[in-house]
Amino acid sequence: MSGSLIIQQPGHAVVTDLGRFRGPRYGLPVNGALDQFSARAANILTANAENDPLIEITALDFRARATADLLIAVTGAPLTLTVGGRECPQWEPVSVRAGETIAVRGITGGLRAYLSVHGSITAPELLGSCAPDTVIGFGLKLAEGTELITSKTVPPIKQPYFDLPLFRLGLTKPDFSTHPVIDVTDGPDLEEFGDTAELLFTTRYTVSPRSNHIGLRLGGALPERQSSSEVLSRGVPVGAVEVPSREELLVLHRGRGVTAGYPVLAVVTSRSLNVLAQARPGHTVTFRRTTVAEATAEHRAAMRELERLRTTVNTVFALLGTGASPRWPGLMAANN
Amino acid sequence: MAATSTPTPVRIFESGDAALRVVADSPDREVNWNTVHSLAAWLDAAGADGVHGAVPTYDSLLVEFDPHVTSARQVRAFVLLGMRQLDYLGAPARTPRQFDIPVVYGGEYGPDLERVAEHEQLPVEEIIALHTAKSYVIRCLGAPAGSPMMDGPDFPLPVPRLKDPRLSVPAGAVSVAGRQAVIAPAVAPGGWCVIGQTPLTVLNPAKEPLVPYQPGDLLRFHQIPAEEFSLLAGRELEATQ
Repeated sequence: MSGSLIIQQPGHAVVTDLGRFRGPRYGLPVNGALDQFSARAANILTANAENDPLIEITALDFRARATADLLIAVTGAPLTLTVGGRECPQWEPVSVRAGETIAVRGITGGLRAYLSVHGSITAPELLGSCAPDTVIGFGLKLAEGTELITSKTVPPIKQPYFDLPLFRLGLTKPDFSTHPVIDVTDGPDLEEFGDTAELLFTTRYTVSPRSNHIGLRLGGALPERQSSSEVLSRGVPVGAVEVPSREELLVLHRGRGVTAGYPVLAVVTSRSLNVLAQARPGHTVTFRRTTVAEATAEHRAAMRELERLRTTVNTVFALLGTGASPRWPGLMAANN
Repeated sequence: MAATSTPTPVRIFESGDAALRVVADSPDREVNWNTVHSLAAWLDAAGADGVHGAVPTYDSLLVEFDPHVTSARQVRAFVLLGMRQLDYLGAPARTPRQFDIPVVYGGEYGPDLERVAEHEQLPVEEIIALHTAKSYVIRCLGAPAGSPMMDGPDFPLPVPRLKDPRLSVPAGAVSVAGRQAVIAPAVAPGGWCVIGQTPLTVLNPAKEPLVPYQPGDLLRFHQIPAEEFSLLAGRELEATQ
């Protein structure tokens, strides 16, 4: 049985997934959830595939009404989540009754939150991804009254004995700091910056309000390119740290144009790109040098943590009968 | 890709934990271009687990991958294997296709045509004649959205970019900058000089690939009068051979 969410207050929310990985070869940015860890976690907490469409909520408050019983999870930046007026935990599956309003308010410590729904959301795809592309104008636009169709409904899950939270899934949540440390590996054009490259590691940079999904602009002491030879356009990775002007450092994120002609000083690690996705204008960041081997190991450790979460969630849901016949039918308050 | 010479050796640079940059740096730019595009085609056909894809441009190739499934070390070895295959088998030959682009030059369609003519110290007609004179090789697909990047027309001087880039350039805009030429498949901001516009639709988001041409294909411009713009508007760009 399908259900739906009716958007009441869209804020800056979009329907997205992990990205358009076949895009770059055609000159389209990969896009997709900027905090990939939080997005994957939200989908896992609702027993979806990690790449399923979900809602990315940036900075502003968001509200939607469920037209059927749903199971949701909200991850990402610290915020206040209420369902039908009750305050509910983040980073846990949450039952929503038909007619109740889901409200996300006061995103503070970070910038982006992720709301997934068990059974996922139906969204149009381009090259195998629903991620919006602002350049070519692709993507599902959310406005007041937009109806998002979900493929499954879930009868409410209730803790029968005490009014305790049902799930304690024990995920180590990411730290949300107003002064995060960002790991980078040496970029392919590091040498072009000579000794000034060291400024990257000794300066505290401030996130500019002109930052977005294409890139973060950071104010502070800037490394300077020592050579002036012309650079032919070439593919630049997500995470590339460039110095395109004398005003700001530019760190490219998932909405970046695929090719550019600026030298790449450093590249932010996959793990730290999630951290940067949560940096708010006015926050400060410092950079720390790491190696590709260490960065890979860190990324894999985070993925293993998500795999453990997946195992726990699957076990709990199997016991509750979400997606199978219940082994603990007492926990299912069938229509109460 | 035209039948080609033996690829030149490449250098491979780390570019974070999820990408590598591969650079061909022989003195011959055609050989470099052939090498990175042949290698991209090989990687694409090989379809290794965890390799998202390759973005070839002029002398360089960005290979993107999922560091959970594979690693920079493994992808580097894979790229070197690809190079040995290309050495042994030669680059795959592909017959280039030809695309003809009708363009309305100047006026509202090409607001920078006169500026470019002034800069080049040539009459406007001569700029149009030079722009329509040759067949362009599509070197790579660039931003935004599969723009065909080409070596520019034989103008005497490189064309400077606009001091104040436009916030919005229409789809179909035909532009030049430096020693390069391009068509805009989609509306986007732009700092290149717009000298004309084609009425044809270049980008079709409902199709894969989104744009009908590939690097190595040939493209030619021809002038049409402004009255014909609306007659051709919305027609999809297709190869003529």
